Amino acid sequence: MNDKTDDKLMAMAAELATDIKPQRDLWPEIEAAIREQEPARTAWTPYFAQAAAVVLLVAGTAAVTWNVAKNDADYVVPPEGVATTLDAEFASFGNYELGQGFQDARSNLLADLDLELDKLSPEARTEVEENLAVIRTAIAEINAALEEEPGNVLLQELLLKSYHEELLVMRKVGGLTQNVMSRNDI
Amino acid sequence: MVALLTAVRDDYSQGMVVAAQPEVNEEARWVRQAQRSDQGAFEKLYRLHIDKVYGLCLRMTGSVAEAEDCAQEAFIQAWNKLDKFRGDSAFATWLHRIAVNSVLGRMRKSKREQDRIQIAADVAPSPASIGDSGNLRDLSDAVDRLPEGARHVFVLSAIYGYSHEEAGEMLGIAVGTSKAQLHRARRLLSQQLTEQGYEV
Repeated sequence: MNDKTDDKLMAMAAELATDIKPQRDLWPEIEAAIREQEPARTAWTPYFAQAAAVVLLVAGTAAVTWNVAKNDADYVVPPEGVATTLDAEFASFGNYELGQGFQDARSNLLADLDLELDKLSPEARTEVEENLAVIRTAIAEINAALEEEPGNVLLQELLLKSYHEELLVMRKVGGLTQNVMSRNDI
Repeated sequence: MVALLTAVRDDYSQGMVVAAQPEVNEEARWVRQAQRSDQGAFEKLYRLHIDKVYGLCLRMTGSVAEAEDCAQEAFIQAWNKLDKFRGDSAFATWLHRIAVNSVLGRMRKSKREQDRIQIAADVAPSPASIGDSGNLRDLSDAVDRLPEGARHVFVLSAIYGYSHEEAGEMLGIAVGTSKAQLHRARRLLSQQLTEQGYEV
């Protein structure tokens, strides 16, 4: 094969059709596949917004309540002989260290979170990150409050719920279906 | 050969349907909209590019069924990876890379190149569907009978006009390998066409 022949062959190849119409419309199946994935891309907003809003609302309310209760404690003396619910809960609740199972699950999810977030659309990723930030801010505030009042059952419960929400969000991102932690984990 | 080429061009021009191309900025707008999960915009991109993507898949696999699967997979993957498209290359080039990956992935997974040759022979697309007619069909069939490596390089560089650098990157091979495969493809095609009575 000489160069002249080679050029002819290449010229002929360049004439071959590059645009070839499929024998059938492939779009409906593509669209169906995309739609199937769509809930995973778009269902974040209501769920995460709700989760974050609930945590923020509860945390905010708790902080206010805690501050009021703390201030009131200086002035109000409970009647003698009346045991408060708080005392009973406090006694049975113990310390609030997170259970090892939860710690492990959280560590694993945190490690996978960036990879999972990369799979989301930019909008969904931003949404998730913003909502996680809200939840984590709430967790930080509750932890700060607990440092001053470690035995506060309400704050402990809120901390539990906040971690629970964070875990749910991360598991939702990862598409995991394991059971979430229980109160025994705290 | 000259006579063959002349005849081929006439047939080719009759068989081809040239779609009206939208403005580049219109395509860019559709890409941006699709990146915001607008499926309508993504369908427009599909309509704009499907013929070339399907053609590429068909030329590379030689099978209508495989080409349909690869083209569909390519567009689904493109949808999932849209946020990673930064516009560094043309959208069509980006899409073709995904399509080539889809073809290579399916071929690696199935490891049925021998079956493919049989399928290609049994379910060869009709001239009307593949867009080639007349003598070009013989070249098209000869391309389809090339060994996989030579065929892939020939399709990308000789038919779709990609450089050896681009073809090598898409196929995951060195530039030198791409050149060697193209040389091999030319030699084999020349032999095949000569055997069919063409003065090549």
